[in-house]
Amino acid sequence: MTAFRRLIGFNLLTAVVLGIGGWYLGWFIGHQITGKSLDFFGEIDQNDISIFLGYFMGVIAFLLGLGFGVYPWARMRGYPPSLREKETAGIGRYFTLCTDHKVVGIQYLWGIGLFFFVGGLNAMFIRAELLSPTNHIFPPGQYLTLVGMHGTMMMGMMTSGILGPFANYVVPLMIGARRMAFPRIEALTFWLLMAAGTILVTTILFGGFPTGWTGYEPLNDQANGGMDAYIAFFALVGISMTLLGLNLMATIITMRAPGLTWSRLPIFCWGVVSTAILMVLAAPVLVAVLSMAMLDRTGQTSFFIASAGGSPYLYENLFWIFGHPEVYILALPGFGIVLELLPVFSRKPLWGYRLAVAGLMGVTLLSWLVWQHHLFVSGINSDLRPFYMLSTELISIPTGFTFLCGLMTIWRGQLRFTVPMLFCLAWFFNFLIGGLSGVFLSDTPSDVTTHGSFFSMAHFHYTIMGGLVFTFFAAIYYWVPKMFGVELNELLGKIHFWLMFIAFNSTFGPLFAVGFLGQPRRVVSYPSHLQFLNDWVSVSAFVLGFSMLIFLANLVYCLVFARVPAPANPWASLSLEFQLPSPVPVHNFERVPVFTGDPYGYGEAAPPVGVPAPSPAGGMS
Amino acid sequence: MSDIAATDYSIVEEEPPELLARNLRTASHLLASATAFFFLAFVFGYFYLRSLNNAGLWHPKSVSASQAYGAVVMALTVASAFLVRLGLFDHRRGRRPQWRVKGGAALAAGLAAIVLQIVEWTQIGFGPADGGYASIFYGWTAFQVLFAVGALFWLENILATSLRYGKIASGAPAPGEASGDPHRTAHDIRDPLSLVRAGLEAVSFYWAFLAGLAVLAWIILYLI
Repeated sequence: MTAFRRLIGFNLLTAVVLGIGGWYLGWFIGHQITGKSLDFFGEIDQNDISIFLGYFMGVIAFLLGLGFGVYPWARMRGYPPSLREKETAGIGRYFTLCTDHKVVGIQYLWGIGLFFFVGGLNAMFIRAELLSPTNHIFPPGQYLTLVGMHGTMMMGMMTSGILGPFANYVVPLMIGARRMAFPRIEALTFWLLMAAGTILVTTILFGGFPTGWTGYEPLNDQANGGMDAYIAFFALVGISMTLLGLNLMATIITMRAPGLTWSRLPIFCWGVVSTAILMVLAAPVLVAVLSMAMLDRTGQTSFFIASAGGSPYLYENLFWIFGHPEVYILALPGFGIVLELLPVFSRKPLWGYRLAVAGLMGVTLLSWLVWQHHLFVSGINSDLRPFYMLSTELISIPTGFTFLCGLMTIWRGQLRFTVPMLFCLAWFFNFLIGGLSGVFLSDTPSDVTTHGSFFSMAHFHYTIMGGLVFTFFAAIYYWVPKMFGVELNELLGKIHFWLMFIAFNSTFGPLFAVGFLGQPRRVVSYPSHLQFLNDWVSVSAFVLGFSMLIFLANLVYCLVFARVPAPANPWASLSLEFQLPSPVPVHNFERVPVFTGDPYGYGEAAPPVGVPAPSPAGGMS
Repeated sequence: MSDIAATDYSIVEEEPPELLARNLRTASHLLASATAFFFLAFVFGYFYLRSLNNAGLWHPKSVSASQAYGAVVMALTVASAFLVRLGLFDHRRGRRPQWRVKGGAALAAGLAAIVLQIVEWTQIGFGPADGGYASIFYGWTAFQVLFAVGALFWLENILATSLRYGKIASGAPAPGEASGDPHRTAHDIRDPLSLVRAGLEAVSFYWAFLAGLAVLAWIILYLI
């Protein structure tokens, strides 16, 4: 009876059933609005209103099925505020609304991982297609959809790739808090993202979309129903990002333990703050521009239709006002992780803490002033080019601060080449190439030459995959023992790292050459003399994909089968989260800790953080 | 994975109400910042499309928004925000019945503004397809209504709590009432009713901010 009641309660199963029902209800209502038809399920004509209403009502019903309606309903009837939903034991809490930040962090890890896998699979399909100069697996339209789904999935879901799992899990522990500022909003950001990812996958049911991840007008307006999935996906991601950033900022601003001044805040938290600022301010612009696109497709507005008083350039401008800060939303958490981990594995204090913070905040500020470099070849006023060229080049200075602080931290340190450290060191190499090619691309004449080619594609893969995904894995190897209380296999981890590092460079390095030789992005065919390079890249990409399977095997083997208990502080870190037992107690701290210094005092006499309860576990350096 | 047999609320109950009050205050400011950037897109769109005037269809002569409706919608929004502010002053001085009256009036004024905005759309004489200005007008006002609905829902929550526990001493409601958890032995927050003030301060700020945006919308969409 109890099992049955659990099955029909608020959980993922109920949510999926209600979500599908809600989708069909929205679809039905859409048809009632646009003209009655009984042929709801086998329709050929495109009906954007039905599709959008279906997505909207599907998401609402999905959230209601998870239990998100209970609290607002109680509040509407005047019941007082409360912090937590009913928390259940066991695995069930991972499949419903749970307000424990550690559970949400783990939910994010699996959820993001799932969609990262889907995005990666699309990349494998793309490279399989490019084994031949002419299309041989997918028709051009389907190839474009694959490219668009890969880019959109990665750029959308991975915005929360580090903040979702790790900031949610670790930030309250690092700052001595028992919870996030708004636990329900924290859970909502995760489930919104899962709904968004599912919606993007459904684009294939409506014919896909031809625009790539940028969704440029006027193609956006002319595309078939699959474009609606792109718009709904990215708008939901934008809402999720805004709320995630707001929650993290509120948590760090208001919930720091006594003694944890801004100048003692762990550098990872600074990385989170700088990212959260961009999320709170940039993501709403994305939601706004996609709302306009939705209205153009459903409400007969003409924001982006030049012949009716609008302009497609409005979309391009607004998209990149969001889009360039978005790049740093992806990169900045990686900076934070590298700077957080290097002192632990170099056994030295973080060099130039204030300079590193200045670097993070400098990137945050300058990222607002560069968006038009994406429009250098779009016919913008040529007088604007020098400003945007200069501002883009300037951003390499605060980025250089981060590099400098990282390098000086490992300089003459007692380096331990653990798996997380290897991923951090790889970040230096990858991001250096990504950054330098970025300076090259910021220069207007060279940008005009390489715009839209595989050169720029190689550049942003070096920054985003080299910068974000490598640090994402560093964070996984570093914090998973704390999150799950289980050790990961070091040998498999090192095999994963080396295979991934070599294959990554073997995949994206040659693409600079391919781009210089004139191969454009998002085109299924290419000149036959580029086949060798393309085949080389494709084979390397398959090896890169295989390296992910090694990681997955390591994770599943260690979490499900081996289950070797991890010590509380396997890295001898001074950071507060590692002073707690593994797994972390549900309420984190029985008494609030008191900070008397920063967490980077390696080699100093006394530990800087006072942890009064329950009992410090693990070794201290 | 950490596993819990049952939540020991006796450990988590000790959180002081000031903490959530601080969170609400911070969140209201951050939310206002996010809202500002959302509408910044429409402000940008307004001036961008106006400067381009593509196909001469930025603002055809036949497209004209009603000054009267615009002014009344804006005035009602500002009046509603002002009433919430006055209600907050009453609450701070312990005049709770007066706050409830002003809160109810603010809710009514806000709802009237929304209804009038919808009436304006039906009476306005041009559609969203009538050029750049028309698109901006419909898009901006539609989302303004959406944000107003959210803010008024927040205000209604606070007002409803205030009304439900109007005659009960602070801290009296049973633990777990809000979340419907009958197994709770204590509150999450030491004195949940004290958060009416914190919530009121937060919603007062945010609603005043939205009223400011309504004034900006009126200037840009009706006066310029």
